[in-house]
Amino acid sequence: MVNTATATKPPASEETAEVASQQSSLVRRKLIDSSITVVVFLGLFVAFGLWLGKVFLNVDGRMLDVHQNVPIMLLGVAVLVTLVPGMFDLSVAGVATLSCFLTIGLTVREGWPFPVVLLVALGLGMAVGLVNGFLIERFKVNAFIATLGTGGICTGASAVYSGGTYVGPLPGGPQLPHWFVNLAAFSSKAPSWLMAVCILLAGVTLFLRLDSVRPPSWPQNRWIAVKTVALAVIAVVLVFGFQAHQWLSAVSWIIFFLLVMALVLSVLLQHTTFGRHLQAIGSNRSAALLAGVKVRRQVMKSFVLGGFIASVSGVVLAAGQGSAAPDVAASFLLPAFAAAFLSTVVLSEGRFTVPGTIIGGIFVVWVGQAFVLGGVDPTWIPVVNGVVLVGAVALSTAMRARR
Amino acid sequence: MNDDGSHSLEISQMRKSFGPNQVLKGIDLTVGKGEFVGLMGPNGAGKSTLIKILAGVYEASSGTIRLGGSAVRSLADSPDVGFIHQDLGLVDWLSIVENLSLGTPPKRLFGPILNKRAEREEARRALNRVGLKLPVDMLVGDLTPGEKTLVAVARVFDRGAKILVIDETTSTLPPAEANRVIRSLSAAAESGATVIMVTHKLSEILDASNRVLVLIDGELVHDTPTRGLDRASLVRMLMQHEAAGPGADSLAAGRSAGEGIIELRDVWLGKLGPVNLRLNAEEVVGLSGLPGSGLHDIAFAVNGNLAPDSGEVIPLRPGLKRALVPPHRESQGGFSTLTVRENMSVSALPRWRRIGRLIDPRRERSECADIAGELSVKPRSIDTPFDVLSGGNKQKVIFGRALLRQPDVFVLCEPTRGVDVQTRSEIYRLIRELTAKGAAVLVASSDAEDLFSVCDRVALVEDGRLQPLRHVSELTASELELMV
Repeated sequence: MVNTATATKPPASEETAEVASQQSSLVRRKLIDSSITVVVFLGLFVAFGLWLGKVFLNVDGRMLDVHQNVPIMLLGVAVLVTLVPGMFDLSVAGVATLSCFLTIGLTVREGWPFPVVLLVALGLGMAVGLVNGFLIERFKVNAFIATLGTGGICTGASAVYSGGTYVGPLPGGPQLPHWFVNLAAFSSKAPSWLMAVCILLAGVTLFLRLDSVRPPSWPQNRWIAVKTVALAVIAVVLVFGFQAHQWLSAVSWIIFFLLVMALVLSVLLQHTTFGRHLQAIGSNRSAALLAGVKVRRQVMKSFVLGGFIASVSGVVLAAGQGSAAPDVAASFLLPAFAAAFLSTVVLSEGRFTVPGTIIGGIFVVWVGQAFVLGGVDPTWIPVVNGVVLVGAVALSTAMRARR
Repeated sequence: MNDDGSHSLEISQMRKSFGPNQVLKGIDLTVGKGEFVGLMGPNGAGKSTLIKILAGVYEASSGTIRLGGSAVRSLADSPDVGFIHQDLGLVDWLSIVENLSLGTPPKRLFGPILNKRAEREEARRALNRVGLKLPVDMLVGDLTPGEKTLVAVARVFDRGAKILVIDETTSTLPPAEANRVIRSLSAAAESGATVIMVTHKLSEILDASNRVLVLIDGELVHDTPTRGLDRASLVRMLMQHEAAGPGADSLAAGRSAGEGIIELRDVWLGKLGPVNLRLNAEEVVGLSGLPGSGLHDIAFAVNGNLAPDSGEVIPLRPGLKRALVPPHRESQGGFSTLTVRENMSVSALPRWRRIGRLIDPRRERSECADIAGELSVKPRSIDTPFDVLSGGNKQKVIFGRALLRQPDVFVLCEPTRGVDVQTRSEIYRLIRELTAKGAAVLVASSDAEDLFSVCDRVALVEDGRLQPLRHVSELTASELELMV
């Protein structure tokens, strides 16, 4: 066996000590890196709380913010799917707008059966994604330009379809199905047993995941004890300090849907060949190619997936608003990218992650909302979003450079 | 300051370590005015480290550099010294005159208006000095590689350099072009300039230099005048170390090869061809050649990453699996933002799929950890970010990736580039193990030691052709020299 080489090496003890210290410094850095962003996040939350008091520290109000901005977070995840292999998809806002128009328009204007409408709206996103992928991977069109163009076409097509005005149900005409509109209301909450199951699962996952920051010198028993105590403390703090139970009871079906989507995509990116190949492509495209990854095909698949999620976002938007306004999703592009780039500094070492995007999205939404609640004119929100986007990118670049 | 002194370069007790790896072990060297010094040595001997310290890319761990009697940190800021690296630093889409005037103080007519005429005049003079007769308005992109090199030389002299340091610039040039550059350099040396040239080509050393330095394992083992040397004695100087190398123990001489696995038939890759090559199970085939010979293109073609312009790559086994260790581990091998585990597993993921096409994390972890342990990758945790690893350990991880794929054919480009002696012999042992298990191995390496330590049959890629394969034991010393 090859092990003989290591066995015969004399200065083993010295070297292992050096390796161990190197490793624990790595662990420490990982802990510090991921806790900095958590601290910043909580710090901002507390600061807004102190500034605005009850107006901001209002569970229902904040959950309503999240609920209303689920389409933005879905778009964040949509751009994330292509950011992982290093591509920019600017078409997602246009896709969301068009599929929102199609969902409303095909139902109330054309009177198509609703399941068919949903299929068309979602199929549209995948089709645009496929076109993007083809343009970029087959015809070597720059991703910015290709997706800017297809996005523009989608936005334009929806304006053409609507004649540049609102499309909504007319009295006496065909209506959107009741279940569809009701499902999207903030008042339809996910049942508490479902939330209990989710919390249990989240707790178990966190318990297992914490192993990645385990100091290598600690024995198993000590580590498990410390881990349990830490989780218990976190749970107590969440319940008594942040009223976690109230937050949970305010989770609407749409938010629950977002969480399920996030979970599925997160698993897809971490635990499938497709997801792992995307990460490899994003890290070093030519190395991925030489390692046997079918780069073009996987990138095209990621664009199709991104387009699909974007059209889901459009459908959710249609459900939430009940009508479609021109350019309805155009202003979502900036916060969506901000959320995706924030994920590189939240809970990860410079990587794009799905949970990070959701947290980043909530961050973006709350920061904007806090300024509005504090009396700043809502027209300032895009300015705030821009600052957050640039700040997030600068921060993640700086953190990467530090490593 | 006296004129003679400003030309002399003194290096004393220069040491350099990367982590625990000592690359330079106390170099003492004095180079005087008008000398043409050829610096030779096998790969990984520390040549480029030495040059990079002189150029200010690295800082020496200890030791001093003196230029014209005064101590300096590096030679980079001195106007007396010019560097020419493999990447010449010329801009292809600019003309010769524009390239020459880049980075020099602009010659102004008045205000912001540049004096084009003066620039062109100066460019013409600079080209004359290196014996290049070309219109100065030609685009650099239209020049031959040799002419480009000469333009780079002209630029360095134009800036007033009296000492010229050249790092393997000629190794990528065709012989005729390289000769032209060498001639121009020796003319410069005769007129008083100092030239320090790193090269692998013995003929260049013999033709042009008047002093030879041989660097082996970070030590200057030979420092002699070129006069009186011939090829054989140069080869001996270079080879005496290699014979004592760790891999010389084993040669599976006369062992018969197994069934054919993959075949290249009349393959043309650009100007290289026709390549006919058959890889058999239980056999290691080694290819060598100079950088730019197309050596790695053959490897890429075998691995299926490069489609031949004509001819066929024929798998002789259904469902043939191939794995590649690329020549440049930073740009082509590693995923610096991912972990060691993710770097290793990327080619083998489908093997660990369960129901729902999800990857079984436990099998992935344990298989990766096994291979990492076998290769003694350090640090030991497979969740370490790849980019904190040392070069040798990165190489092990990329090698481990190929192992995890469990292919029928291993295509190994420069498998031991930048790894230490210990790892080198580990890798050699692994390659032998692979063939014992029935794999075919292609080693494409510009390091002669790889070929002689582990390969059964070897061939050179030279002048756009693949020379016939020969058993290692048949090769004579005169043929070895070409491979150094």
